[in-house]
Amino acid sequence: MFRRKRFKKLDNLNTQQVLKQQVLSSDLNDNLQVLRSMYQDCFDVVFRTLLMGGKTKAVLVYIEGLSNIEELNDHVLGSLMEETEGEIDSPQSALREKMTISKLNEVKTFADCIENISIGNPVLLLDEAETGLALGLGKWEKRSVEEPTAESLVRGPREGFVETMGVNTSLLRRKIKSPDLKMKSMKIGSYTSTDIVIAYVEGLADQSLIKEVENRLKRIDIDSVLESGYIEELIEDSPRSPFPQLINTERPDTAAANLLEGRVVILVDGTPFALIAPIGFFSLLQSPEDYYQRALVSSSIRLLRMLFMGLSLVLPALYVGVTTYHQEMVPTSLLISVAASRESVPFPAFVEALLMEITFEALREAGVRLPKQIGAAVSIVGALVIGEAAVSAGLVSAPMVIVVAITGISSFMMPHYTQGLALRLLRFPLIFLAATLGLLGIMLGIITIIVHLCTLRSFGLPYLTPIAPLQGRELKDTFFRAPWWMMNTRPHLTGKFDTYRKASWKKTSPSKEEK
Amino acid sequence: MQWGRSMIEKGKISSFQMALIMYPTIAATALLTVPGITGSYAERDMWISPILGSVNGFFTAFILYQLHRIYPKESLIQYVELIIGRFFGKILGFVYLFFLLHLGSIILREYSTFVSVSFLQKTPPFVIIGGMILVCAFAVSGGIEVLGRTANLFVPIVFLLPLITAILLLKDFDPKHMLPIMEHGSLPVIMGAAAPQVWFGETFLITLILPFLSDRDKGMKWSMILVIGIMVNFVITNLTAIFLFGGSASGYAFPLFTAIRYITVSTFFEHLESVAIAIWIMGIFIKVSMFYYALVLGTSQWLNLSDYRPIVFPFGFLLTVLGCQWVAPNFEELNHFLVTIYPFYGTLLMTLIPVLLLLIAWFRKKQRNKEQAPNQSVQ
Repeated sequence: MFRRKRFKKLDNLNTQQVLKQQVLSSDLNDNLQVLRSMYQDCFDVVFRTLLMGGKTKAVLVYIEGLSNIEELNDHVLGSLMEETEGEIDSPQSALREKMTISKLNEVKTFADCIENISIGNPVLLLDEAETGLALGLGKWEKRSVEEPTAESLVRGPREGFVETMGVNTSLLRRKIKSPDLKMKSMKIGSYTSTDIVIAYVEGLADQSLIKEVENRLKRIDIDSVLESGYIEELIEDSPRSPFPQLINTERPDTAAANLLEGRVVILVDGTPFALIAPIGFFSLLQSPEDYYQRALVSSSIRLLRMLFMGLSLVLPALYVGVTTYHQEMVPTSLLISVAASRESVPFPAFVEALLMEITFEALREAGVRLPKQIGAAVSIVGALVIGEAAVSAGLVSAPMVIVVAITGISSFMMPHYTQGLALRLLRFPLIFLAATLGLLGIMLGIITIIVHLCTLRSFGLPYLTPIAPLQGRELKDTFFRAPWWMMNTRPHLTGKFDTYRKASWKKTSPSKEEK
Repeated sequence: MQWGRSMIEKGKISSFQMALIMYPTIAATALLTVPGITGSYAERDMWISPILGSVNGFFTAFILYQLHRIYPKESLIQYVELIIGRFFGKILGFVYLFFLLHLGSIILREYSTFVSVSFLQKTPPFVIIGGMILVCAFAVSGGIEVLGRTANLFVPIVFLLPLITAILLLKDFDPKHMLPIMEHGSLPVIMGAAAPQVWFGETFLITLILPFLSDRDKGMKWSMILVIGIMVNFVITNLTAIFLFGGSASGYAFPLFTAIRYITVSTFFEHLESVAIAIWIMGIFIKVSMFYYALVLGTSQWLNLSDYRPIVFPFGFLLTVLGCQWVAPNFEELNHFLVTIYPFYGTLLMTLIPVLLLLIAWFRKKQRNKEQAPNQSVQ
């Protein structure tokens, strides 16, 4: 009952929505009245009345700052205002011939009009014509293509997505030139009507996956989409899980690589972060640089990353559990030094760990939010306070500081920030379990996390895919990264359609003549 | 209706995953107590007993696979009704469910005893068992697919535990301890096989997984590989105990974990038993989850429920209470039960009754074929 009432109210509010569906009438004044009422109190909307060819009355409607005024003056107004000889039987066709603009669209309804005006295409309405003309002269301020800041690499392309859809799609198109790269467009958000583009490579991406992505996007009914995070939360399989089920990336090369592995990329206008689906847990542990550096090196780095992922999750819990319950596990000499440094500390290990971890999280959050100039000061103060003063004051022990530092470093190592967030969060329940049940508690906690990961799916793909369920073919790109000359098969996801990436096993070697 | 009944579980797993689930389901508690029990009879010949015992594993897997081929979409709880009639079938089904409940709580008791002896002396068993049951309930409500995937991650680690132990203890081994072989004839070895054979009989539980296999034809192959894998691991464990302790291995309640205590790597890594127990907890988690899953799935099949998830938590509570209080007053009593009663009790239900069922099913099938043959000729 309550819901229905609320929706009715919404309907009443949006009487303009109904007006939008109307078709343009042949009377220019009527059309103008409707448009003016819609754009009431919008000072940035310009209505320019003019006489076409000295005879026909016409109105140009555009929004200041969204359209290219110079071109509008040169190519449109100039040719429009010219005096023409004789009668014009169809002003529309005459216009089409005259105007030196590559993109011209006919508009028939007010909805079309508004859509074009709001994306920066000036709309020309003529007297005694039932259609208007939208001129493709959109131009607005945009950020230039810069190096992505959230995912930086030593080796690899330096360009990143920007906030403008057109630039982002062109960046993708520059990477994959085949016409098989398809981009479907749709609009989401009743107020923002944000452009969403679903990009995929035909023949590599599963048709049912594309359908599923489209269906989930179509089901979204929301007033605004300001960042791809909105879309991510609305289409993921388990929104309550701490683990991300879509990757967001700022890098066109990452997006292109995923497209070529049969995944779908969702671009959202107004944000440099594109979404990639479906993904598995192990794709979150891969950095694009793994594929650009030498195979042996990137394989070892990948293993290192996995080790530290584990550490960032369990190390504080392990420290608490071992010092509280399982002192016998620690080698005697180490135990003595740990015990000596803990002697003056008034807190139990659990409180100590919690104190330090929470302080560290606060410090990190402060460092992220503050302006860059102050950020450095915060980290210096934090390092001094936590590293030196707290230890010498006897509030925390030095080993605890080391543990927190290692945990911090290891969570910085995660190539995808969202996964690092999940691990940071899950560390706290594990510390609690370690303090209550020792090693058993840690194991139960880890088992719960793994069972949870086993239940997760990303667009139908089991989250732990290459390992559980086991996909032998994909292991070459999971724990280590096989050299490119060995990666001749595509991942399982797309292998069904186009199995071979390249001719099998073609390692380059000196040709026989040279030998 | 038949179709609807077998669709309580919607997931599918591969036979490889079935073998992975079943491995810790048999080996997790066996690695704890069986070497001690076997050793008390067979002493330094205790490495032969698992080989003899594995015969029962092969046999049970064979029987249940044959039954599965006759009734490919049902588990034992369901086809027992089709074989011996609805009334007796329901009674026998109840007996099996009760058996699963009993066995599940025995496992929980073994687990809690072991954990509290090893490191949580003052923690009440209710907390130790309750914590595990909560985690298992989470996994069980995820269904067979989740169990399969968790097994996929955990079992390789659990499988390597006895092997790594053996490698790390290599320098302390004295192979002469195993000589002379069969000093007292073959009888002690056979007596010693009584305990492992009933653990091998736990392959019985494949009856609940077989209907959900995506590759049914490989079910038999992987069941056999499973039994071989367990046998190899038992032999390695028992040999480790013999090489290290000689005939006195049976004096320890948990010989494998006592052996791990002896591991020293460059005098720094000592007392690794906590790590070993942590790994073993993964194994026992799968074991408890499998029994728990078998219990709730069997019960919902027995009661013709459309979903097993609503009864997961009630049964978890039941298992916790039974595991804490009811199964045995103390560990000695439990061990006594495992040595004296369980070999007969378990073998009867897990191997002998299925054999009987298979014989009846074959007989019925033949009779039906006889009845149908004239009908077909008329048509």
